[in-house]
Amino acid sequence: MDMFLQACVNGLLMGGFYSLMGMGQNIIFGVMKIVNFCHGEMLMVGMYLTFILYTFFGIDPYLAVPIVAVTMFCIGSVIQHTLITPSLGTKSFTNLLFLTVGLGLLLSNGALVIFGSEYRSIRTAYSQTYIQLGPVTMALPRLISFGVLIVVTVALFAFLKYTTIGKQIRAVSQNPTGAEVVGIDVKKIYILTYGLGVALAGTAGALLTQFYTIFPTAGASFGFRALIVVVVGGLGSIPGAFFAGIFLGLLETMSALFISPSYSDLIVFMTFIVILVVRQTMIARRK
Amino acid sequence: MKLRKLTSILCAAVIAISALAGCSSSSGTDAAATTAAPAATTAAAGTEAPKETEAAKETEAAGEAAGAELTGEPIKIGTIYAMSGGSAAIGANILRGIDFAVAEINAAGGVNGRPLEVVRGDHAGDAATGRSEAERLITQEHVDVMMGCHMSVVTEVVAQVCQQYEVPMITAISTLDRLSNEEHKDMDYFFRLCPLNSVYVEDMLMYLRDSAEQTGEEIKTVAIFTDRAAIGQELIRCVELFKDEYGLELVATVDYTSNATDLSAQVLALKQADPDAVLCDSYIGDATLFIQTLKEQNYSPKMIVAKANGFTDPSFITNLGAIANGVASVVEFNPDLTNGKEINEEFKAEFGVDMNGHSAESYTVVWLFKTAIEQAGSTEGPAVRDALAAIDIKGEFPGGRKIVLPYDQIKFENYDLAGEAHYRDNTSASVAIAQIQDGQWKTVWPFNFSDTKIAYPAPLQ
Repeated sequence: MDMFLQACVNGLLMGGFYSLMGMGQNIIFGVMKIVNFCHGEMLMVGMYLTFILYTFFGIDPYLAVPIVAVTMFCIGSVIQHTLITPSLGTKSFTNLLFLTVGLGLLLSNGALVIFGSEYRSIRTAYSQTYIQLGPVTMALPRLISFGVLIVVTVALFAFLKYTTIGKQIRAVSQNPTGAEVVGIDVKKIYILTYGLGVALAGTAGALLTQFYTIFPTAGASFGFRALIVVVVGGLGSIPGAFFAGIFLGLLETMSALFISPSYSDLIVFMTFIVILVVRQTMIARRK
Repeated sequence: MKLRKLTSILCAAVIAISALAGCSSSSGTDAAATTAAPAATTAAAGTEAPKETEAAKETEAAGEAAGAELTGEPIKIGTIYAMSGGSAAIGANILRGIDFAVAEINAAGGVNGRPLEVVRGDHAGDAATGRSEAERLITQEHVDVMMGCHMSVVTEVVAQVCQQYEVPMITAISTLDRLSNEEHKDMDYFFRLCPLNSVYVEDMLMYLRDSAEQTGEEIKTVAIFTDRAAIGQELIRCVELFKDEYGLELVATVDYTSNATDLSAQVLALKQADPDAVLCDSYIGDATLFIQTLKEQNYSPKMIVAKANGFTDPSFITNLGAIANGVASVVEFNPDLTNGKEINEEFKAEFGVDMNGHSAESYTVVWLFKTAIEQAGSTEGPAVRDALAAIDIKGEFPGGRKIVLPYDQIKFENYDLAGEAHYRDNTSASVAIAQIQDGQWKTVWPFNFSDTKIAYPAPLQ
């Protein structure tokens, strides 16, 4: 039972990150119908930004979160404006695929050139503090990170639901032509959305730094999981991505606990395929 | 339209560049995996390279200066290591050891009055390049003996070339078991100084057995925590091979995919199995995450013994701080080895860095060649080969240094290892076990080579 509780907590804490990554990916997909293949690399950039802020300016990784988020938003906006918007017009999926994949490679190899292949980490005074709650142990940074994740998620929901820009984003995601007709500047919304998605990835990166190592390909495993989250949670659905992320985290730890850690990846991918097939059949039947 | 074209060109360029950069970085990882335990080799990754070249030049200059006094034609030692590409840093460490030995021997009168000279080849981490470099060194530079390489696959190819031209070759650091097996029975110009991969693991188990002497608690059960990739399979294979001989029960084998996002499930599985000792082999990222996750899941194995790799990467201690205390690992050399302290001080004064396993082993090979050539009284291939086959160094080289590695005999023999025949390996070769104590690697085993006691149970804080 103790093991079960511990595994639950582990799954939740990790799932939060998958959610955040998935939501960022999904907001981009929802609005522009493109898959951002460099999402994991954006997380890595967020990690290195936090690392720079901490090492050179002594800024605590959690205080750095807003700075990283804003910087990443700017980076994302620039990429959208200069690279993605022009190629959106081509209506060619392969073009965008190459663009985002290439961008990802550029970023991770850029990091390799600038920072080297060394594995770095950030150690603050409290990063090795552990909290004992009954039978369950948690690292303090993981707990704080989870708190921040919840705040970010709630803020994102509120933003999309109640603000004018949020409503515009949803409008574009539902019907870009309609949105343009009623006077929404679709290109501006694209820039905002991509910036927002990238900022979410960067935030996840910043939150990870205290218990994960920072290296040029750190984003790959997370980026891949973000794709699973998006597909399981439903393309374009933000709440779907949130729950799918938590689900993925729990699935990983639970399958390891009840079956074997060796099979946990296998089980995750099997579930992924089963969900895809089931959903496909259901959609087909409905039609 | 123009913009569209521009974008696609940009994409193509980006992908091409990245792919190229990706290649060079991945070959680096391969190298690290092939050498079983590159203790602290990644240390120099790039940053120390310029310093190294200067130091090497100085040594060469020193060697030449001393050599000038020596009459006679130089004896040429060919070396084939990576001096460019992703594993150049590893090559740099090896060459430091060689330069150091050559300078020392020349300053003391050379070999039969003739100076030693190093002729460098660069295999850039590639077997085909290794072959052509070997041919160049032998046919154009006319080297008398050969040393190499740091990737076992390259060593295998170079050894074939040496066999063909009857040039004696010793590998200082290629640990792949296969290099000395039945297939290579007739390659009588090839000798291996370093322990085999499976000997690394056997030594880990030997350490577990011997540790009871100091800790008072016998290790009966072990679990393996490792990467799902080849390095992990190798560890599992070797543990299976030797566990019965050492009376150990393997209670769990826990693996994960490299660069895991989360290892909590693996740690919980270990906690459930509750072994007396955990044996592991991981790359640096996973090694760091592993120790951190142990703390997060409130589990402290009493003993953690790693097969070097990520655990001996210099950033391991830097990244983890105090919680790394107590982790033990295989090392080929450690600055505090009782017979290595002295040479390490001299080495550090020369190069500004500690001697590592690769430099110590390469250093020893130069001394072996010196001894063999002196005993053969000639540099003819067959004569040197016979001298090497008959060589038996006990404790120290004739008229020179002590053996600086954690064993006191060097003799190339044919023998059986776990039911398989091996040829011309140094059967006394062994590794040492070092443990992190107060943020430093301290040699704790073999007991007669260390002054430090094992910290047990591993404090991890």
